[in-house]
Amino acid sequence: MLQNLLSPYKGSFKDYTELRAQVNTNQRVVLVAGNMVSNSQETEGGVSARVYRGGTFGFASGATYTPEGVKNVLSAATDNAIFMDSHAKKGQPPLPSAAPGNQGLVIQPRPAVQQSILIDFAKAVDALIVEKYKNLSSRTVVSNSLDIEKLLVISDGADSHFYQPRSMVYVMMTADTPDGIPVEMYVPLGGFGHFDELFMSPAQYEAEIDALYESLMKKREGVFTKAGYTQCVLGPKMAGMLAHEAIGHTVEADAVISGSVASYNLNKQVASELVTMIDIANTYQGRTIGLPVYVDDEGVIAEDAMLIDKGILTGYMHNRDSARELGMKPQGNARAFTFSDEPLIRMRNTAILPGTSKLEDMIASVEDGYYLVDTGNGQADQTGEFMFSVEEGYEIKNGKLGKAIRETTVSGVAFEMLKTVDMVADDMYWTVSGFCGKKQPMTCGMGGPALRCMINVGGK
Amino acid sequence: MIDIARHALDKAKNAGADKVSCSVQQTRKDEFNVEANKFSLLRTLFDDELNLKVIIGGRKGTISINKLDMASVEAAVDECMAMAASATPDEAEDIAPLVENKKFSRNIGGADMEKLFARTQEFIQHVKDAYPQVSVDMQAVFISEKSVYLNSNGVEFHDEGECYYIQPMFGAKEGEASSSFNFYGAMVTDLDTPFMDWGMLRTLIEDAPKSIKTRMVDDKYVGKIIMTPACDDMVWYTLLWNFLDASSLISGTSRWKDALDTQVADKKLTMRAVPLHPDIVSAERYTDDGFESKDFDFIKDGVLKSFALPLYAANKTGKPRAENTAFYNLEIEAGDVSLADMIKSVDKGILVNRFSGASPGPSGDISGVAKNSFLIENGKITDAISETMISFNIVDILQNIPAISKERCKNGSSILPWFCFDGVTVSGK
Repeated sequence: MLQNLLSPYKGSFKDYTELRAQVNTNQRVVLVAGNMVSNSQETEGGVSARVYRGGTFGFASGATYTPEGVKNVLSAATDNAIFMDSHAKKGQPPLPSAAPGNQGLVIQPRPAVQQSILIDFAKAVDALIVEKYKNLSSRTVVSNSLDIEKLLVISDGADSHFYQPRSMVYVMMTADTPDGIPVEMYVPLGGFGHFDELFMSPAQYEAEIDALYESLMKKREGVFTKAGYTQCVLGPKMAGMLAHEAIGHTVEADAVISGSVASYNLNKQVASELVTMIDIANTYQGRTIGLPVYVDDEGVIAEDAMLIDKGILTGYMHNRDSARELGMKPQGNARAFTFSDEPLIRMRNTAILPGTSKLEDMIASVEDGYYLVDTGNGQADQTGEFMFSVEEGYEIKNGKLGKAIRETTVSGVAFEMLKTVDMVADDMYWTVSGFCGKKQPMTCGMGGPALRCMINVGGK
Repeated sequence: MIDIARHALDKAKNAGADKVSCSVQQTRKDEFNVEANKFSLLRTLFDDELNLKVIIGGRKGTISINKLDMASVEAAVDECMAMAASATPDEAEDIAPLVENKKFSRNIGGADMEKLFARTQEFIQHVKDAYPQVSVDMQAVFISEKSVYLNSNGVEFHDEGECYYIQPMFGAKEGEASSSFNFYGAMVTDLDTPFMDWGMLRTLIEDAPKSIKTRMVDDKYVGKIIMTPACDDMVWYTLLWNFLDASSLISGTSRWKDALDTQVADKKLTMRAVPLHPDIVSAERYTDDGFESKDFDFIKDGVLKSFALPLYAANKTGKPRAENTAFYNLEIEAGDVSLADMIKSVDKGILVNRFSGASPGPSGDISGVAKNSFLIENGKITDAISETMISFNIVDILQNIPAISKERCKNGSSILPWFCFDGVTVSGK
């Protein structure tokens, strides 16, 4: 556990100053067709300081977390702030204040789990696949544990001690189509928690692995999608990606300041009134969800950010600087991935909230379209134009599910596509399996219900 | 650094490791950040890194830490030995043999932060004056790295290098209309040239305001596209990830797994990994597994000449090891058609500056949205487009490449021409 070497310097802060000590421990085991191609552990830790002066920041980081190391980064960050203030001459007022506080650990840090636990679990899943599933041309199993611990001391706001363990197992299967073309699918398992607590036996996840295999067997017989603008039911996994990529990134205030589509749509109808979307700090319906954040890396106590309320764009996600510039309130979205990264505006747990429709009714209501179940990746634009891959999907013909489809992509413009949403399912799916990329990677959660909408489908 | 690396190596050997490699690296990075055309941050990073690999009876463990004090190093050796003990034995695990130890240096005399600030300011001011609709976020960076590599076969490499690089992201806005954002990266060894003249940056910035008003492709057809060097690396990286790399060969999913020394592409295509090329900045001099890096051909005149396999994967698959692991330092040979003539040859198509697509799978099917892209009609570039999807199979389109441009673009990490591809499905909304 990180010792607090930072607080003694708090009295010496002259300008707005953050001091952050952090350790990220990343363990990884990869089996490709049973071969252990990776058995690695990476520990990256150190201390950083960020100082604000007149509208710009100075930042410095070092790997040495000792009193001397803290003093060195504080001095270098201050020098950088002075350089920037004297050269950029922005003359901006101070950052807005944040409520004071001291957020202690919600769960206790633990030493990294033994690597043998990751190895044994990956091997057990691999053995299960070999024994149980035929017709596969290859398989990959990845065990991964990422622990992040941060200690934050700040001149103005809430100090905090944060710890986030995330443990995942990714199972990928490959099979050949009848004409010999390889197709693959994967499933992420796990989430927030320690590896040995989430992964005790492959039997816990056998149902998900069975489902992956069955879906892949359908996909190898799959058909290409017909390119065009089509009515689709987006499964809840797709809706989570939509929330994050297509909408979430455009309502990050740095994107807004740079001219995103959200910059001129505040308080306007941007979606069907069935659509409500929130970036949740840590708790939904009384339960801790996704990857919870309690205080951000600017010392702002985290609270939910309402982004779209019944179809109306109501807010953005901020750091203190963007909140000052746009006259809004920061709600705890400034986050840094490693000790050497500065805080950026990042999503936490972004979700479209559930509605009242039943998924089976939504599928039954589509005459000719697709049920798009799962996605691998997505990208969005400041115009709101987005693209997601579709890793699993099915034709819908006369209200019934038809053949599986091969990989494709869907695209659209978020605020136009959201206006076509006319059914929202009453279920909800959360995932924390991926990384968001924006200068730095970041862990985050995303969630959503199934949506019926019109969307542009790629294909032949 | 050498003492730390040697201490770790000796400790692992004394603890019973059969084979050991250890590298130690120290990095300093200074970075100006700009948000929405305004300076926002100066960031200085000091970091250390020790990477250790041990092999015991064919069992491998690798560990990376960023502390170089003796207690941390010794703890890392112990942990790495324990990791290896838990691993599955594999005869393919190995380290490089001793051939010739070397020292490499590509230092440029340290950072000139005043000049880097001035070049950044000049760039931002130029954008504001010449393209007032354009907003830029960017990093302008100086990086200095020193490293040493040792292994238990006696291999010893020393390397140090410095360079500048920029990573601008930009878009244009006018009233309530905006272009798609675009981004670019370029590396250099001096600051003698304004950023605008680095690689394709000027063209891409100029294109941003032209992309505010867009047209949708209102039909679907199969035809030609021209991919610019800012975008066509996507095609080559798809080849790397799905047909040439270790994972696709070990898993056996590569469609080219048996294609070495056979024709896999049009004869016009020659593609090399060239970290030693004089126009490639501060690139790899030795591989992670301890070999001196040399340039090599992936594809020569359309014939597959090498996979992208490091030592373990080469041993595992029985295929030749690649001569370097700087697979992204690509050089593609120029063609015999000028870009202007290439555009003239397209009656109906798209000039693709950026591609937003799904991570392609082993089938080679690719589909996604053409971003920051323009229609080509009757041999001329006309309107910017939006909501236009393109899809193709990479194996298929490489078979017949209508044209490769004479012109090539250098951005410090690759040297790429413009490509005309045929048989691409283009569909609008």
